[in-house]
Amino acid sequence: MTEFTLPRRTALQLALGSLALPGIAEAQQAQIDPLLYGPTPENARRGGRITVGSLVEPPALDPFRQAADARIRVSPLMYQGLFFEDQSGVPRPLLAESATAAPDGKSWTFRLRRGVKFHTGQPMTSADVKYSYDFMRNAANGSPGAGDLSSVTSIDAPDDFTVVFNLSRPNAALPMTLTNKYGAVVPRGFLDDANSGTRMNEISVGTGPFKLKQFRPNSTLVFERNPDYWQPGLPYLDEITFVTMPNSAAMAVGLQSRRIDLAMFSRPQDTQALANAQGVEVRRWPSLNQKTVDLDCKYNNLGDVRVRQAIALAIDKKTVMDASISGYGTVIGTIVAGMQDAWGVPLDQLANQRVDLDRAKALLAAAGHPNGFDIDLTTIIGYDWMDAAAVTIAEQLRRINIRVNIRKLELGVWIRNFRAREMGFTFNDWGTTPDPSLLYYRHFRAAPEGADFRNWNHARASALLDRGQETADPAARRAIYAEFQKILAEEVPTIMMFSSDVLTANRTRLKNYVQHGTGWYFGLVKAWVEG
Amino acid sequence: MAGFLARRLGAAAIAALLSSLAVFLIMRAVPGDIVGQMLGQSGGDRAAEEALRAFFGLDRPLWSQFADWLGAVLRGDLGRSWYQGRPVGVMVWEAFLVTLELAVATLVLATLIGVPLGVVAGITQGSRLDRAIQSFNLVGLSAPVFWLGLMLLVGASAALDWSPPFAWSGPQEDLADNISILVLPVISLAVLQAAAYSQFVRGLMIEELGKDYIRAGRAKGLTPAELYFKHALSNVMIPLVTFMGLILVQILGGVVVIESLFSLPGLGRLILAGIQGRDYPVVQGALFFVVIIATTINLVVDLLYGLLDPRLKP
Repeated sequence: MTEFTLPRRTALQLALGSLALPGIAEAQQAQIDPLLYGPTPENARRGGRITVGSLVEPPALDPFRQAADARIRVSPLMYQGLFFEDQSGVPRPLLAESATAAPDGKSWTFRLRRGVKFHTGQPMTSADVKYSYDFMRNAANGSPGAGDLSSVTSIDAPDDFTVVFNLSRPNAALPMTLTNKYGAVVPRGFLDDANSGTRMNEISVGTGPFKLKQFRPNSTLVFERNPDYWQPGLPYLDEITFVTMPNSAAMAVGLQSRRIDLAMFSRPQDTQALANAQGVEVRRWPSLNQKTVDLDCKYNNLGDVRVRQAIALAIDKKTVMDASISGYGTVIGTIVAGMQDAWGVPLDQLANQRVDLDRAKALLAAAGHPNGFDIDLTTIIGYDWMDAAAVTIAEQLRRINIRVNIRKLELGVWIRNFRAREMGFTFNDWGTTPDPSLLYYRHFRAAPEGADFRNWNHARASALLDRGQETADPAARRAIYAEFQKILAEEVPTIMMFSSDVLTANRTRLKNYVQHGTGWYFGLVKAWVEG
Repeated sequence: MAGFLARRLGAAAIAALLSSLAVFLIMRAVPGDIVGQMLGQSGGDRAAEEALRAFFGLDRPLWSQFADWLGAVLRGDLGRSWYQGRPVGVMVWEAFLVTLELAVATLVLATLIGVPLGVVAGITQGSRLDRAIQSFNLVGLSAPVFWLGLMLLVGASAALDWSPPFAWSGPQEDLADNISILVLPVISLAVLQAAAYSQFVRGLMIEELGKDYIRAGRAKGLTPAELYFKHALSNVMIPLVTFMGLILVQILGGVVVIESLFSLPGLGRLILAGIQGRDYPVVQGALFFVVIIATTINLVVDLLYGLLDPRLKP
């Protein structure tokens, strides 16, 4: 049976008010939020094991020092931050119970949940929270998440269940930053050992619903239920085994032959093989990922805004999406599809979204390239969608006499170039935690506050990003990010083309699995299996 | 004999040293390092990069990094994986056992299929049977291993509603699972090697059967069985053993594709993952081990010559 569902979270408005934002009294949230990690099922059965097929495998399991998406996908099963990054864009209290910002916005006070135990058996207190986030924000410890905490100047633990984050400037996105992408709360002292990073391949020391049972690199990763987990009755499953699968054909075979219960597909069209499979359901979820073309403003002729606009005006996003992911996605303007409703500007109000070859040619001529020019377009090995997209874009740009030479790079080399701000004219594939500050700030804020990978160095955009981060009022914040997006569309340091849907396929015996738009496995906490 | 062994071992040591140096330099010449992998495309800043680089010793001069590594290897320590933290020696050995099982099973199956086919084709040269065997060889030699593997996987699922368990189990853990995991990759690899064998043996047989001593034997009234299997085949054995050694090295080299295609945690995948993650100790340790294995196989083949034909005794 095949079923296509596009789950609509109705929680958005409700959620926008549910977090204790500045001016809103702390108080609520003493109870456990029933929407944490997804909807709570009725009549769920406890027990049972499942096998999840995955095309990628974490290189290591350290949540503090490994940025690989494959690591982040599984970490939430074992480790927890203070908040859960609800897809609606609202941080739901996880290890925190409430959040209150000071009137000047320069400190946040978090009340912590009581009765939480680490996998080591120790109870969690504010000293552990302070220790964990102090470790993460210290750049010398090498955490990729340190940059997101640069506004934190100190962390206090006035009593066992209160922590206070002091900031150099207001940061309305702080709760969303203290979610589950990087870092987690671990027992104080654990990270003092120089080998703590690799020890986390053998034991888990978080507070999450599952404990690490076994990690066999290049093969399997096994989690078992945490019997002391703090959410009553959760998780339902006794054991989850992740198996590294060689390719999507093997995943389809594995589902049909009942070797695996759940799989996520990186190329949505690969689920077509399962359209008529017995006992397998294929489902489609909106994502927080985006496929883009990035323009390094120091590369080739891309320093001239007219050239960048001409390129944007020649690219037909829909055609590129159809060619590369068979249309299983949503064309976007300046924000990922999963955040469009809450934060996006309608595409018809953004510049350079519709193909206009005459204007593109005129802009090129005005920029001094009436006969076009040659340029390299970079794709990354292993990202299959980019191959089809590159050929399509080369063809589209040929119509304005830009001659594209496609160049393939290995991922490690590409990352090196990107970090060194030498990305050139390249495809990119990246996701975000659902907050505009976390989406835009590091990427587009001018240095040194931001990383400005595209050498855009845009003063007005940077000022807006600062204001957006500092502003607490949701409506004012939305207006600021709308203005920023209009500049982004006008200036074209990046062309955000489309968000590819997340496609999962599961055996029908697996119930209540909800896929998070990040592609991370939060949904396994409330999933259960029939006997 | 002792002098021969000493010379060969000396040459092997030099080969191991030079290839290790080459691997060391090439890995560092490839742009990007583990720091970029750990911080991802957008995480961390310069201070984090520098801290991690110092943690892994990447800020030290190249010669000192290599001297440290070599010194440790001479003490029998291949270092630890930067990601896993486990001793590289243990990781390489575990992965090698997987690859070895795959390679030996492939070699046995390929020999069992390829040698008889080659002998039959050689004896019946020009017949319909010979042409059929040659067609098999052509298909076997030209079908890409990854294509064949994928077809077998999808075919087995469609026809038998069966697929291998994708999680690896060693033979000592669960023999039935172990065999079901290996059956498709071994067939995929063995088809190619059996075709190569069969083609090679056919050529040898034809050449051997045209020689004077066979004619003399025939004139003497020897039975075909005696001619083919006692005389011709035993002369074919020497080049065949050389070929077997080559095939084994070739299988060990070709398993990267098949290990990736079937998710087998062997040496090829260990090295590939090490290269992609820039885990220098793993890549250096594993390739050092591969060089030692390849040299040993060649040495054993040379020694076997002596056993099979006393005239070639070193």
